[in-house]
Amino acid sequence: MEDKAYLVTVAKDLEDLIPVFMGNRKKELDTLRVALAAADFEQLRQLGHRMKGVGNSYGFAQVSDIGKDVEDGARSGDRALLETAIARYADFLGKVQITYE
Amino acid sequence: MSEIAAPTRPVVAQAAFRVLVVDDDPDMAAYLARLLEQEGMNAETVHGGDAAMVYVMATPPDLVLLDVMMPGTDGFQICERLKADASTAMIPVVLVTALEDQKSRVRGIRAGADDFLSKPVHREELVARVTTLRRLHATRRELESRRLAAEVQRKEALRRTFSRYIAPRLADRIIADMENEGTPFRQGAQRVNLVALFADLRGFTRLTESTRVDEVVGLLNEHFNVITDAAYRHDGTIFSMAGDSLLVGFNVPFPQPDSAARAWGTARDMLASFAPVHRRWTASGGVPTGLGIGIASGEAILGNIGSPHYMSYTIIGDAVNTASRLVQNARPGEILVTGRVYESIRNMIPAGKAKSQGEVPLRGKSGATSVWSIIL
Repeated sequence: MEDKAYLVTVAKDLEDLIPVFMGNRKKELDTLRVALAAADFEQLRQLGHRMKGVGNSYGFAQVSDIGKDVEDGARSGDRALLETAIARYADFLGKVQITYE
Repeated sequence: MSEIAAPTRPVVAQAAFRVLVVDDDPDMAAYLARLLEQEGMNAETVHGGDAAMVYVMATPPDLVLLDVMMPGTDGFQICERLKADASTAMIPVVLVTALEDQKSRVRGIRAGADDFLSKPVHREELVARVTTLRRLHATRRELESRRLAAEVQRKEALRRTFSRYIAPRLADRIIADMENEGTPFRQGAQRVNLVALFADLRGFTRLTESTRVDEVVGLLNEHFNVITDAAYRHDGTIFSMAGDSLLVGFNVPFPQPDSAARAWGTARDMLASFAPVHRRWTASGGVPTGLGIGIASGEAILGNIGSPHYMSYTIIGDAVNTASRLVQNARPGEILVTGRVYESIRNMIPAGKAKSQGEVPLRGKSGATSVWSIIL
């Protein structure tokens, strides 16, 4: 895990969408944790797939990377990979700093 | 995952090009919509396959941007449905997918997708693909609009041509049914009940003897102009124009429950309209002319009669023959009708204007026919 903040640059014209976007990511993190506890790998796969698609589109490459790990971990039933990915996601969401250009 | 909030989006001005963005992820849908709106398009978002189908059927968009991986009805299925329905098949569909494998692309093509976008969606690529489809869409619309305009012009030209010879309503019906194999105009002969009206110019032969040949056609045209107008006013169908006589049918080819009344109205209008022409001709030619009319009802055969080289859409049969015999007997200004026609119109005839001629033998008919004479 990083000590320093994660810096993300987002297109200026998407700025007004970001508060809802970040709010949804935090809800997503909670859902990931619940799904992992329930060993609901199908939901984990769907959530990972969604993160992978939406992250890079907004400029959040880390969200897509973590989403790929979640999707892969869910497909293979790799609980350790899922736990690591979810922990990385929590760390990222806690430290991300956004600038708009 | 349903608790994910949908971002609020600014209201954009109504744009000519409407895109429906279908994605179960509200953030992805909002992102795509924002990019499209920045290009001046009007983007609406829905978050599921079933909602997308409802939206498209209610307000068909100009383009659908469709996520493939969705819970429930997925993008492939929606695309297949849209392309299978004639009313939505022409709407361009762009599949948006993280599936980059060839198998998924092939499935998308089989589903009828017009283009693909891979997630993450890059702004420039989205705009380029949608703009290209928008241009194609506009071109297709323009071509369709021109095709329709040409079709309207062609039908109008046909209608004008037909209307010189037949009732405008019949012309419209022929054009409307032109491509229908089941149309009555393509069917063989059929037995019908009709009212036949013959109108004939009395004294015209003598008038032509005292008139220059080049003026005869003008006189005939004037005569036919007046009486065809009267026939059309009552939705009669003109089946024959020969010499100086005219054959008009009612209850053919369209049902007219009041066909006898229509025939009576036509006869009355023909005489009224012809009266000033008659006076003028009499004054200038010195030879009395006038219109005689015969009306009969009954069965006849309606159809295309002739040879492959020359065919006439006409009526033949007893009612037509009887009307023809009656008009031969009619004096100028006289309407002769059969007893059956008289019974149908007697309440419309001014008192004292109709007189029974009894049972009259008509040439070519075995029995006598009840005939009434009406002089207005």
